[in-house]
Amino acid sequence: MQNEESLVQRARQHDQEAFAQLYEEYFDKIYRYVALKIGDRTEAEDMTQQVFVKALRSISSFRWKGRPFSAWLFRIAHNLIVDHLRKRSRRATVPLAESMPAGDGDPQQAVERRLDIDRLALATRHLTEAQREVISLRFAGELPIAQVARVMGKNEGAIKALQHSAIAALRRALRTQGNEE
Amino acid sequence: MKSKEFDNILDECLERLLVKGETIEQCLQSYPEQAAELEPLLRTALAAGKAVDFQPRPEFRAKARYQFRAALREMEGGGRHSLFGWFPRWATSVAIVLVVLVAGSGTVAAASNSMPDSPLYSVKLATEQVRLVLTPSPLGKAEFCASLADRRVEEILYAAGKGNPRQVERVTRELDVCLTRLSSLASSQGEKGGVTLAPAPAPAEVAPESTDGGERTYSHGNNQLKLKLALKHHAQSHPAALREKLKTVPPSTRAALLRAIAVSEDGYEKALKALD
Repeated sequence: MQNEESLVQRARQHDQEAFAQLYEEYFDKIYRYVALKIGDRTEAEDMTQQVFVKALRSISSFRWKGRPFSAWLFRIAHNLIVDHLRKRSRRATVPLAESMPAGDGDPQQAVERRLDIDRLALATRHLTEAQREVISLRFAGELPIAQVARVMGKNEGAIKALQHSAIAALRRALRTQGNEE
Repeated sequence: MKSKEFDNILDECLERLLVKGETIEQCLQSYPEQAAELEPLLRTALAAGKAVDFQPRPEFRAKARYQFRAALREMEGGGRHSLFGWFPRWATSVAIVLVVLVAGSGTVAAASNSMPDSPLYSVKLATEQVRLVLTPSPLGKAEFCASLADRRVEEILYAAGKGNPRQVERVTRELDVCLTRLSSLASSQGEKGGVTLAPAPAPAEVAPESTDGGERTYSHGNNQLKLKLALKHHAQSHPAALREKLKTVPPSTRAALLRAIAVSEDGYEKALKALD
């Protein structure tokens, strides 16, 4: 990808190709972040599209000023998720694991991966909201600590401490699951 | 050792593990004194990293990309334009009403069977919008949208048969708008909680009525159940017909047709879910 700052600059000036490149760069990361936080495939797909449409509409108001584009984009995703969870209806959900492709590769591996995702999604429910946010941004969104700090509005030291406690809590939750199975 | 230092070491090891692809053992060798505390955390982090390494469904990716590109074009163009060039679509609809009132319905009638390569096709679309606006109830509108989706699929098949990917894409956008509106209308029906739906028979058992023009219409007496059955039928028959067409179209039209299939499958899935 070209220099992100120049791409964003071009996108702000309605350069379609520049925005399309940003879209391709972040699509999978935003989808994984949303999917892990919502835990439902269909809703995650809808919301991923909403994130990019909202970004497209708001890009002209984006100012770099030291805050990276990724932090801005994930902040949009975060806000949409918060709104969504607040209004979440009672409709049935499609478990996240069903988004895993089952047709390719070793079927045993596919099953194990599905179990991993299910277990992880379940385990994150035992985390605090802030811990869950760090895990989602760091592992699903693949953001470095500095950008996680930007999205969450905290300093890097606080995020590193939160990351530590989140992984420890995740480990405890996964071990508890293991004992129950 | 201070907790802050350990937090830094843990973060450094995570970078090495998840970004640079180093092994847990390599990290532990760098910090032998912290190895006992680090190892379980790194193993958990590595497992979490692998678990979230999943990809969006290919059909969703294709559909989302297509819709995003369409949104980009729409932003660039400042909105959708119609037959009358700079007229927005609502203005075209008003114009059509006036044309019908003043000049009679000859042109509109002639346009009703037009295909995407016809100069009258935009008149057909605008006329449909007028009919939709004038349809009184949300259920009636939903039924009408369902029949429009049926038309759009026929038109996509026609344009694909002519080997015209641009027209396939244009009609696919119309199909998408139609199915999105259908979901929204179905959702509003669901929220009202009016009719309780009985379990539906298999789609093959009950198909929507067909008129001589091949267009499926729905009588005023139809209820939500009939709409649901029709949608279930369309949800199978439309993607199937489009996939069948895929076997015979030229390579230049395949991508556009694949997007139409994705839009069709996804649109009906959402509409049916909204009706549940």
